[in-house]
Amino acid sequence: MKENNPESNTNGNAKPGRIFLICIGLCMVVLPFVIYSAISHEPEVQITQVIEKQDQPIDHQVKSLFDAFTETSTVYMDSISSERTLSEYYSRRQYPGSPPLIPHEMTAKDEKGCLTCHAKGGWAKEFKRFTPVTPHPEKTACRQCHVKPLSGELFVETNWQTISPPLLGRSHLPGGPPPVPHPLQMRENCVACHVGPGAVTPIRVEHPMRGNCRQCHVPETTSALFMRAANTSGSQHTP
Amino acid sequence: MDMNRRSFIKSLALQSAMTAAASLFPGVGFGSNLIEDLSSGSIQWQKAPCRFCGTGCGLLIGVSGDRAVAVKGDPNSSVNKGLCCVKGYHSIQILYGKDRVTKALVRKNNILVEIPIQEALDLIAEKLKATIQQHGKDAVSVYGSGQWSITEGYTASKFFKGCIGTNNVEANARLCMASAVTGFMTSFGIDEPMGCYDDIDHADVFVTWGNNMAEMHPVLFSRMLANRKSKPHVKIIDFATRTTRTSEAADQSILFAPQSDLAVANSICYEIIRNKWVNWDFVNKHVTFHQGKINIGYGTEDHFSFQDQAETVDFKAYEKFLEDYTPEKVEKISGVTARDIKYLAALYGNPDLKVTSFWCMGMNQHTRGTWINNLVYNIHLLTGKISTPGNSPFSLTGQPSACGTVREVGTLTHALPHGVVTNPKDREMAAQIWQVPVENIPDKPTYHTVEMFRALDRGDIRFMWIQITNPMVTMPNLKRYRNGALKNERFVVVSEIYPTPTYDIADVVLPSALWIEREGFYGNSERRTQHFDKIVPAPGDAMCITWQMIEVARRMGFEKQFPWPKEKYIEPLWNEYIQFHDDPKHRMAPYPELKKRPGVQWPFVNGKETKWRFNPSYDPAAKEEGFDFYGKEDHKAWIWIRPYEPAAESPDTEYPFWLNTGRVLEHWHTGSMTRRVPILHRAMPASYVEIHPDDAADLGLVNGEKVKIISRRGSVVMAASINGRGMPPRGMVFVPFFDENYLINEVTLDAFCPISKQPDYKKCAVRLERV
Repeated sequence: MKENNPESNTNGNAKPGRIFLICIGLCMVVLPFVIYSAISHEPEVQITQVIEKQDQPIDHQVKSLFDAFTETSTVYMDSISSERTLSEYYSRRQYPGSPPLIPHEMTAKDEKGCLTCHAKGGWAKEFKRFTPVTPHPEKTACRQCHVKPLSGELFVETNWQTISPPLLGRSHLPGGPPPVPHPLQMRENCVACHVGPGAVTPIRVEHPMRGNCRQCHVPETTSALFMRAANTSGSQHTP
Repeated sequence: MDMNRRSFIKSLALQSAMTAAASLFPGVGFGSNLIEDLSSGSIQWQKAPCRFCGTGCGLLIGVSGDRAVAVKGDPNSSVNKGLCCVKGYHSIQILYGKDRVTKALVRKNNILVEIPIQEALDLIAEKLKATIQQHGKDAVSVYGSGQWSITEGYTASKFFKGCIGTNNVEANARLCMASAVTGFMTSFGIDEPMGCYDDIDHADVFVTWGNNMAEMHPVLFSRMLANRKSKPHVKIIDFATRTTRTSEAADQSILFAPQSDLAVANSICYEIIRNKWVNWDFVNKHVTFHQGKINIGYGTEDHFSFQDQAETVDFKAYEKFLEDYTPEKVEKISGVTARDIKYLAALYGNPDLKVTSFWCMGMNQHTRGTWINNLVYNIHLLTGKISTPGNSPFSLTGQPSACGTVREVGTLTHALPHGVVTNPKDREMAAQIWQVPVENIPDKPTYHTVEMFRALDRGDIRFMWIQITNPMVTMPNLKRYRNGALKNERFVVVSEIYPTPTYDIADVVLPSALWIEREGFYGNSERRTQHFDKIVPAPGDAMCITWQMIEVARRMGFEKQFPWPKEKYIEPLWNEYIQFHDDPKHRMAPYPELKKRPGVQWPFVNGKETKWRFNPSYDPAAKEEGFDFYGKEDHKAWIWIRPYEPAAESPDTEYPFWLNTGRVLEHWHTGSMTRRVPILHRAMPASYVEIHPDDAADLGLVNGEKVKIISRRGSVVMAASINGRGMPPRGMVFVPFFDENYLINEVTLDAFCPISKQPDYKKCAVRLERV
């Protein structure tokens, strides 16, 4: 290939021939580099790329839970109040897990104003009660989902029905930790709703200092029980 | 389970009381007061260590009639101080799965059929005798477990090593703890951690080395979180190959390429020396330097053998060796930035910080498992951060009695309850206590676990008695060993509680008493021995495994060695066993003491537990000033020169992914118990393969889609998990091994650490195909 005779393109079309020639020329220039780099490549010098810290959300954003545990003060964790009730809690929602409506007058014009109280909780002077804490303070467009009703009237009556809220006290054993009765999406941070004076009394935990909530409280993802698959071991023996 | 009328009425009353209470107080679970009210009449609380991991939480088991009905964390146990994890809280439900094995079974025409248990025991004794006569003593074997109660492992050792006369005694702890043992033996000359869990309350910095404690040792993990919350300067560094719940809780998550922990550990030592952070006072008095063999192989071939040789070197040689491990060079091996390596070194090197390192399977299931154990000890020895509260290189265990039974009783081929079979003095001691002729105990080890299953496949072993473990899920390169066990002229006895893939290959199944259905002892990660009574009756013919072996041993003519009546044999066995440890380095607590307390740490000398070994302020066996590493003859701790060597099998163009395997919070090991607990199965019903989102995108995979994982040994099809419980980096997949319906160990490789013979379940090469 390399000994291509430049004279050969005198017969026939000259233009493609010239392009061909240029290609050959280029090849001759590049080829030594290709060969050199192939020979000089040492397979044992395999360089591992730096493995960056993985900042993606995993395990139902479990990081938000650990962060909340670390950042919430012990004093807050130990405080209680008994004013928020479950019926009040559900009266703000259309179905269990729906975004609650805004039950009070809006004092701040800025949307971020919501988070000045609802990110960390604490005593709200103007309402004379403790503030409930949002489990997802990283989402700042609050009023995308949470709205304030301006009227009690309906446009027309509705046949809307919903499911009952999850039963409490669903421990599998007396004294055992109950499973998480709700989906974790948007509610990954257990500390927000289950700890401190802003929590609804019947769902406030007695042991907030334990930190790794999901070490004991696990979500149920199926209602089935374990069944062995037939002949799972690939054995011809069938007991 | 029989329930008499009285206990039935009692339990009805209990249920209705609970229902009424639940409607009165719709609180989180049943408030603690409520249980107290109930306990006053109908529930009796009895102590027992948890059945699952090596943490060894103290539980209080609530018993109503003859059934276990509730669990509390034992507030008097210093391990868990009243807290458990989800497995512990529901542990008693493992007793009541519907498919519990309650009758002896024998295989006839390829089907397991029920027989009276006494006939099954006759058959086993006959088969043992016939096999020994035809093929020799080394053709019979017992394969036990870190879930053996101490008396079970002790009986197995006495029966097989002392009476029958074969060293074919192994336990599944070989698959989980062997590298920790060889790590301790080579660095300190004596097994088990010098520290204790109190280190968690004292340390300023925690480094978790390939150890997802948030899921695997959750109770210790929350103790660590509580320490950090009370002292804001406390830091947790997760040093791992994949992002997990532990990484998310840590102050810093540092990821490294599989196997490169060896290089990083050396690099940390390089930095400590370069920055003059060496604690010379400590090193000069208490440390010597040593070098072993290199290029030591991977054990993938039959009859592989290796013997390390220690050569004493000086500090200069060690310093010279470390020149290959500058942070900049190691960054290229490990993928850890030089900056992060220096950061880790600075934490270890700072004389004002107390540092505790935790590890478990990430370092032990490693083809250089002994080496990486040595290398982490090197860091703690160079800085003198050892054997004092909060300064602790801490090897955690995965099974409730991996330490108590396998390591302390020595139920491994080379070991005896005290010492090793190769030492004539140790053989004499055993023969004397066991009342057998010393010639009975062979002076050479036979097969370690992987080689034992290879021997079963080859036909060198013809009889295997498998007790409380599920090797047909857990053996690496599983297909070979299952096919081997199924060959003709192989006789497998399985002492089991539920049908499992190991039960599927059995010729005889013995129904076994589980956990609190018999009296026993476990030993946890921090040298704590815990006694439990028989709390509830065993179902049907289920029998304590110690007694199963005694019955068989007597049928073979060893009445003299096992003379005790059925009503009282555990206490005499304990009293016999502790004669092996009757010196201040290892003295065990007497029976009445263990019965009284939630657990006692050894060495137990003059009525006192030893929290920190080798430190004369705490350890009565330590005589020298400062520290006394009395395990070694020179009373020094050994720093080892151990290089980085690559894994047995690394990804290539044909098999481009690392396969890593492990566990999840909800299931314990192969799930044969925890999958029968409703809440645990419901939370984690099936295994999956974790894959990095970018790799998934390249393969066109979405969450939950099936993917085929293929290695040179086998394949398995399972659902992809993206951004799930954990996340591997690009180029790695992770599979939990609990699910017998997806046998990932048909894919893994049976390479092992040549020193410890422990297989590496964390590294082999696979390719993925979308199904």
